[in-house]
Amino acid sequence: MIPVVLYILISVIPASSDTLNPPRVLSSSFYPCSDCHQGLKTNLQVRKLSFHDDILIEHDKLWCLDCHSPSDRNRLRLPMGRTVAFENLPRLCATCHGHIYIQWSKGIHGKRTGYWNGKKNYFICTECHNPHSPSFRPLRPEPPPLRPERTIRRD
Amino acid sequence: MRLLKELSVFFKGFTDVTFRGGRVFYVWMSILTLFILAGILAYIHQLRHGMIITHMRDQVSWGFYVSNFTFLVGIAAAAVLLIIPAYLYSFKPIKRIVIYGELLAISAVITALLFIFVDFGRPERFWHAIPFIGTANFPYSILTWDMLVLNSYLFLNLLIVLYVGCNTYFGREPDKHILMPLIIISIPLAVAVHTVTAFVYNGLSARPFWNASILAPRFLASAFCSGPSLLIIIFQVLKRFTGFRIEDRAMEKLAEIAAYAMAINIFLMLAELYKEYYSKTIHLTSLRYLYEGLGSYKRFVLPMRVSLLLNILGLLFFLIPETRKKAPALIAGAVSMFIGIWIEKGMGLVVPGFIPSPLGEVYEYSPSVYEILIALGVFSSGAMLYTLSLRAAISLETGKLRHPFAPPPVIEKEGLTAGDIMTKEVIAVLPETSVDEIAGLLIKHRISGIPVVDNERRVLGIVSESDIIYREIHRDPEILERLGGIVLPAYRQTIKKGLTAGEIMTSPPVTARVDTTLRELVELIVDKRIKRVIIIDSSEKLCGIVSRIDIVKAIERLHS
Amino acid sequence: MLTRRELLKNSVTLLGSLSLGACLKQDIFKEKFRELSEEEKRRFLKRLEERYEKRYGIKFSVRDTPPQKGVVFGYALDLSRCIGCRRCVYACVMENNQSRDIPIQWIRVLRIKKGHFAPSDFESAEHYYNPEKVPEDGYIYIPVQCQQCENPPCVKVCPTKATWKEPDGIVVIDYEWCIGCRCCMAACPYWARRFNWKEPYIPEKEINPDTHYYGNRPRMRGVVEKCTFCIQRTRNGRYPACVEACPVGARKFGNLLDPESEVRYILDNFSIFRLKAELNTEPKFFYFFSLGR
Repeated sequence: MIPVVLYILISVIPASSDTLNPPRVLSSSFYPCSDCHQGLKTNLQVRKLSFHDDILIEHDKLWCLDCHSPSDRNRLRLPMGRTVAFENLPRLCATCHGHIYIQWSKGIHGKRTGYWNGKKNYFICTECHNPHSPSFRPLRPEPPPLRPERTIRRD
Repeated sequence: MRLLKELSVFFKGFTDVTFRGGRVFYVWMSILTLFILAGILAYIHQLRHGMIITHMRDQVSWGFYVSNFTFLVGIAAAAVLLIIPAYLYSFKPIKRIVIYGELLAISAVITALLFIFVDFGRPERFWHAIPFIGTANFPYSILTWDMLVLNSYLFLNLLIVLYVGCNTYFGREPDKHILMPLIIISIPLAVAVHTVTAFVYNGLSARPFWNASILAPRFLASAFCSGPSLLIIIFQVLKRFTGFRIEDRAMEKLAEIAAYAMAINIFLMLAELYKEYYSKTIHLTSLRYLYEGLGSYKRFVLPMRVSLLLNILGLLFFLIPETRKKAPALIAGAVSMFIGIWIEKGMGLVVPGFIPSPLGEVYEYSPSVYEILIALGVFSSGAMLYTLSLRAAISLETGKLRHPFAPPPVIEKEGLTAGDIMTKEVIAVLPETSVDEIAGLLIKHRISGIPVVDNERRVLGIVSESDIIYREIHRDPEILERLGGIVLPAYRQTIKKGLTAGEIMTSPPVTARVDTTLRELVELIVDKRIKRVIIIDSSEKLCGIVSRIDIVKAIERLHS
Repeated sequence: MLTRRELLKNSVTLLGSLSLGACLKQDIFKEKFRELSEEEKRRFLKRLEERYEKRYGIKFSVRDTPPQKGVVFGYALDLSRCIGCRRCVYACVMENNQSRDIPIQWIRVLRIKKGHFAPSDFESAEHYYNPEKVPEDGYIYIPVQCQQCENPPCVKVCPTKATWKEPDGIVVIDYEWCIGCRCCMAACPYWARRFNWKEPYIPEKEINPDTHYYGNRPRMRGVVEKCTFCIQRTRNGRYPACVEACPVGARKFGNLLDPESEVRYILDNFSIFRLKAELNTEPKFFYFFSLGR
């Protein structure tokens, strides 16, 4: 069942010729992760990490190795032992957020800029959502309009 | 060339009668000119800075100008609707007012169009709305229909007035076959003018306060109140400040029409109130704003309540026949109705259509100083136009403005009153005057009777030949012979008798008012077997005298 | 019989007034833009560009890009996503050269308590909300702009036909033809139209010189303006500025006649509704809740 779903999901990813800009990778300061992790031992115990302690996970009840591949830190992990590159992150998010993923691929979810009849700039998930703490942070609103009474000069 | 000469003669006569007048006229014209100048200055300010100088904003985008436009269209329509009682019901006293109603309609339409003009954001582009020259949105835009109908109505009224005016100037009777169809057409056109204006508001589904079928009937009903009221005020003012008189019966009829119209108007208002307050949909909000206020937004509540009070007051004054007949009550009724309708149909109609806005916002609008100044200027222009046209019309009717070779004016029998035929320079005596002196006066001035007045010229009685004969005949029959112009020594004997006017006069005398008709005077003279009627004003002061010879002269003039 | 002298006087007067009329015709009595010939249009647009350049000191382009065939624009707005941040409002102001003094904003965002919203009832809508952060619990936010109705009441009432519906569905205003009577503003059920109560002011640094004749070219006082679905962008295939500004992607735009467009997908898969639908204005602005709340 799951491979079928995955296959369907993979097939609806928009073709790269539709994009104006290639999706950006979230963090380039640590990449490639293998620089450090090649030498480290893999510990699958769910625990609080000593390094990467600035990362607060507020994403349901997940922990690091639920998404990051234990065998290859440079890739993200999908079910059935598959991995996917950071550039194809949406496939990972799709494993739980299937509906959102379909909507995103149709352009209903998330922002798009560009041409309605041509090339569009897609924003991948992590360009709006922090994967570790994905819920949208409230923003400061822009100022309210000017009340018409304030445009009357009492002179 | 001859045409130019004719025109110059006409214009000279025209300017003479319209621009020259008494002190009251000059004061009135000066006040109007002042307001017009102020209005023009304010309008120039608006042209330079844009309509930001008004208090209209996107939330309330129509205001004082459009309110007054709506109100004036009502006046214009009603002024002409007097024709219905005059011609269709042959109510003669109103016939004379018809032409003055038409003039009011013309002035009102021009003033209304001026209000629309000052409301334009780009007034120099007004021609875009004219068919063929611009791109008028016919037949979809009701505003286009309104402009077409208003201008047709203006044109028709101008045609009628100019036709009658021209004929009167040349001393000719207007051809009824041309005039009557024009006048008859103006009736449905007057109804159309006001209905179409109502439809401008009525058809806007965005504004539930206006989008109700009751709007057009309410418009017509309130127009029938404001138009006649204004005419009553105008004619009473004319009566007071000039010699121009309209029969009281005509005034009373106008008041009666206005009363019935106001009753209908109030009924329709109550119907609206019921519908909104009972079904309590969100559309109630505009009405609540008007009559209760919304939270802290209460600016219209007091004016609306005042308007309702004034309307009811006007209704009562006009409905009760006794109050209708008395001049102070008539004027009070007319003024309160006029102001009441101005509030209700002007600002009380236009502004609540925008409150709340289609997105629920409340912006309280009231006109700015500039809007008020411009409105005053526009109203004054209309008033000035009406004043001048009225003066011209009256002069034409009385014959003061007349082509040099035209026959003198024929005064209609119905219009002939005591004031038209009486002798104004009347000799009168005080009660202490002796019979001797009276006799001398009778002989000297070849009159047959002399009124007796007090120091303030209030009429106390009359001494006629008959009084002297009947009082004196018992004392000295020889006086009989002496009367007839011969002063004999025996006459001196009466002086010794010491009889005075006060002792022999007939008191109270038979009197009549200035506007008593010829027919009534004749009836008085025949019934009471007198030879003359003393004419007095409302404070019993002597104005003139109508004797039998004056009546004979009048009849001779009528028949020639 | 007219003497020769009179004839001369009359003809001089006639010629004088004709030439005056011709001069005035250029500026005041000019014809409507859409009725001009192609060459006259180019000339007129060039004159406009020169005028704007002189005024703002930057090279201007005023195009009159025609509608594309087979295109009718539609707009969809996801009310589950809108957080009321008003970034669309100000992006629109920048893109469309709206006056800063007094401020004109074509988009108005409303805040309504959850459960109190009805597409015909805006009595409880708040316009001037200004919390620290948005979104707030218990509220939804509804942006409203010109709905580009298929059956526009504003077009019906305009006495000069200065506003009309274009074949691609956008309701446009010819700013040179509008007389400023504001009948359209009274007729619009969505309060979408704005009036230039004074000469608009745009700071030179913020001017957008890429304009369309019916769209974002700087307006003058005394005329009405409104959202045009960024006609200067959309007729060249781009998204409107508000779509691109929205940080949560609540705004969707496309061609209703294209079955593959985002907007069509929304119409096919979501329950959309339109504001004040009972007025039968047939807006092309559709609201929906992608999350069902």
